[in-house]
Amino acid sequence: MSATTETHPDPSPPDATEGVEAELGFVGSIGAAFLDIAVAARELYSVFVRTLYYVFRGKRVKGAVLHQMNEIGVKSVAFICITMGFIGMILVYQSGLQAKRVVPDFTMLGATYLELLVRDFAASIGALMLATRVGAGIAAEIGSMVVTEQVDALRMSAADPIDYLVVPRFLASLVMTLALIVIAGTVAFCSGAATAYVFFDVRPDIFFNMQLVDVGDFLTGFTKCMAYGAAIPIVSSWCGLSTFGGSEGVGWATTRAVVNSSLAIIILNFFISAAGFLIFPG
Amino acid sequence: MTEAVRNPRLHALGAASIELAEIVGGMGVLLARILVRIHKFDGEELVKNLYKMAVKSLPIVAVTALFTGAIMVIQAAVIVKRFNAEGLLGWGAGFGTLREIAPLLTALMISGRVGANNTAELGTMVVTEQIDALRVLAIDPIAFLIVPRFIAILATLVMMTLFADALALFGAAYTGQGLLGVEPMTFFNGLTGGLLDFGDVFNGLFKSFVFALVMALASCHFGLATKGGAPGVGRAVNASVVASAAGIFVLDYLVSFLG
Amino acid sequence: MLAFKNIKKSFGPKQVLNDVSFDVKAGECFFIIGASGVGKSVLIKHLVGLLACDSGEIWLDGEEISRFDEQQMGPVRKKCAMVFQHATLFDSMTCAENVALPLRKHKDMNAKDALAEAKKRLSVVHMQAFADRYPPELGDGMRKRVAIARALTVDPTYVLFDEPTTSLDPVSARRVDTLIRELCDKLGVTSIVVSHDLSSIFSIADRIVMLYKGKVLKIGTPAEFKATDNGIIQQFINGRAEGPMDL
Repeated sequence: MSATTETHPDPSPPDATEGVEAELGFVGSIGAAFLDIAVAARELYSVFVRTLYYVFRGKRVKGAVLHQMNEIGVKSVAFICITMGFIGMILVYQSGLQAKRVVPDFTMLGATYLELLVRDFAASIGALMLATRVGAGIAAEIGSMVVTEQVDALRMSAADPIDYLVVPRFLASLVMTLALIVIAGTVAFCSGAATAYVFFDVRPDIFFNMQLVDVGDFLTGFTKCMAYGAAIPIVSSWCGLSTFGGSEGVGWATTRAVVNSSLAIIILNFFISAAGFLIFPG
Repeated sequence: MTEAVRNPRLHALGAASIELAEIVGGMGVLLARILVRIHKFDGEELVKNLYKMAVKSLPIVAVTALFTGAIMVIQAAVIVKRFNAEGLLGWGAGFGTLREIAPLLTALMISGRVGANNTAELGTMVVTEQIDALRVLAIDPIAFLIVPRFIAILATLVMMTLFADALALFGAAYTGQGLLGVEPMTFFNGLTGGLLDFGDVFNGLFKSFVFALVMALASCHFGLATKGGAPGVGRAVNASVVASAAGIFVLDYLVSFLG
Repeated sequence: MLAFKNIKKSFGPKQVLNDVSFDVKAGECFFIIGASGVGKSVLIKHLVGLLACDSGEIWLDGEEISRFDEQQMGPVRKKCAMVFQHATLFDSMTCAENVALPLRKHKDMNAKDALAEAKKRLSVVHMQAFADRYPPELGDGMRKRVAIARALTVDPTYVLFDEPTTSLDPVSARRVDTLIRELCDKLGVTSIVVSHDLSSIFSIADRIVMLYKGKVLKIGTPAEFKATDNGIIQQFINGRAEGPMDL
């Protein structure tokens, strides 16, 4: 493009964004990326702290939390059951294949699967699914309120949008994520047991083996549920509240909410898993 | 239509089935229309989309892969400690990563970023009449817009999965060293020690190809079917992300049993 | 030579066009006027195949095109260019790339030649200074001029304008008017303009058709419109709130 600009000299400045990137250079753009992350982290922290403040101090609108529990929880049950049902079948089939290559002994298949499910997979994969459905929903809803200036109207009536919009979603998500993940784990276990019976001839009563599940696994799994349940609405609301630029902006906010919530889940998973492993080794 | 619905639950079930059939059928028709024009793609649009989809997704895929590898090692670590078999760590973490977790998580992340973006862009073009503008300029929107995006999504996901495989194993190896004191060399020996082969990598890549297919079709279909102005774009994005995720899981199941 | 014959079109229960017929002569600047929502835009979208009429015929240079499919529509669309109401440039491309796209697709130019040619064509509409800017950064009037440059790339014999001056400031609006008039006078292009901008209508139109309640109310020159004693037309062209017209 620059070649044609030279042959047809005209006074137009080069494209704005390209110009900025070119000026910054490689090191500069890395610095800019870090600045972006720092700004995002501060905003996220601010939303989180204000949410916690209003959880204890805010005025409660009657029925708001219940409404959100229905939106976030009840309407996600079908989606969670279908995806977790399939993932349960896949996981057991894969681990069966894996075990077959070393020791063709499937008696511990169920015990190991149940341990992994309690400690990690039910919470993490379930939460990734919730991030897609719930995160996108929250960001789209709040984002369209921002671009249609409804959030500004809230501010004008002296209501903090965090109190009014984020807190009900936060509380609803904390409760419903736990409930949904218990459902998700149960569904994944049942579909896994069915797969084990059909493909590896493991009877369900042998498959259902709680021997390897201990307090540490339960605590790790529970901590994960709480952490994800808090992270999804906070990250998605933040993405929704920082929407700009009309209808297209809402699309971008939704995308960012899904991606950032998923990232948050993966990063939280790493830290909680590592902590769980160090506190309850084996 | 005016007749009262006697059994609302049954009615809802029927409506949902018809809707599902409509979506799957729409995606099938779109695939046929793409394949007919697959040779007529626009090179410039393809390069533009590859840059936007693949290059711009590198950071997020890198972070996901590194952390995923680390998590897989932590999960395998318990078993390794129990049997005191350090040599199996590479195999234990690698098997699940290459065959299942890396393709799946990469697909979910790319679906959130690239798929959703693609739907939002196409949806905006529909509601602002830009697709009609293309037609009026006698340019086929499928050949010009959809085919390059379709190819770009396929290429992006397969490349990103390969990249994520490598980074996840890297992250796994060094987590193993930090957490369990297993040398990275021991980890890689466990990985290449005969229990894992390229078949497992190809299995993962084939999966990611199938995921890309459903994601490309879903995101283009919902984008092109956008109705009802600005809120319609939001609804289309949401529908596309949910459909892609559900499609990915269902196909994951089918492909796992075939492979 | 272009002719609409007995066009009928309804959306659901709402009959928008009810038996509309008129001819447009080669090389004239022809205006379609009427209140908002009367189906002016709907009518010209039939000509480029964006909508299909329920019944009736559209004759373009001796061909009946109202039943053409997407493939047959290709040559028609190269002959009839359209400038959309909101300009509808491709947001992800610069102005020059917008204009270069049809050149690249229809004139077998490579990307570089197409861009160079696009910049030449932008200078015709006095937009060469903004060739490398993206459409969302520009004002409505500027976008509209780029859209006109893009429409002209296929060397059309007919150009359709959908409300070219709506939402423009008066100065930009008159510039667009001048551009449309020049197309007819210098290039011999037939312009079909959908508008309710009174100053455009009376400064550049050769002939006018007025639509009212899905039917043709009157066809004639601006002078004939001014001279008519039809109450509805008088109310419209004088822009009065009170009168016999119902909306």
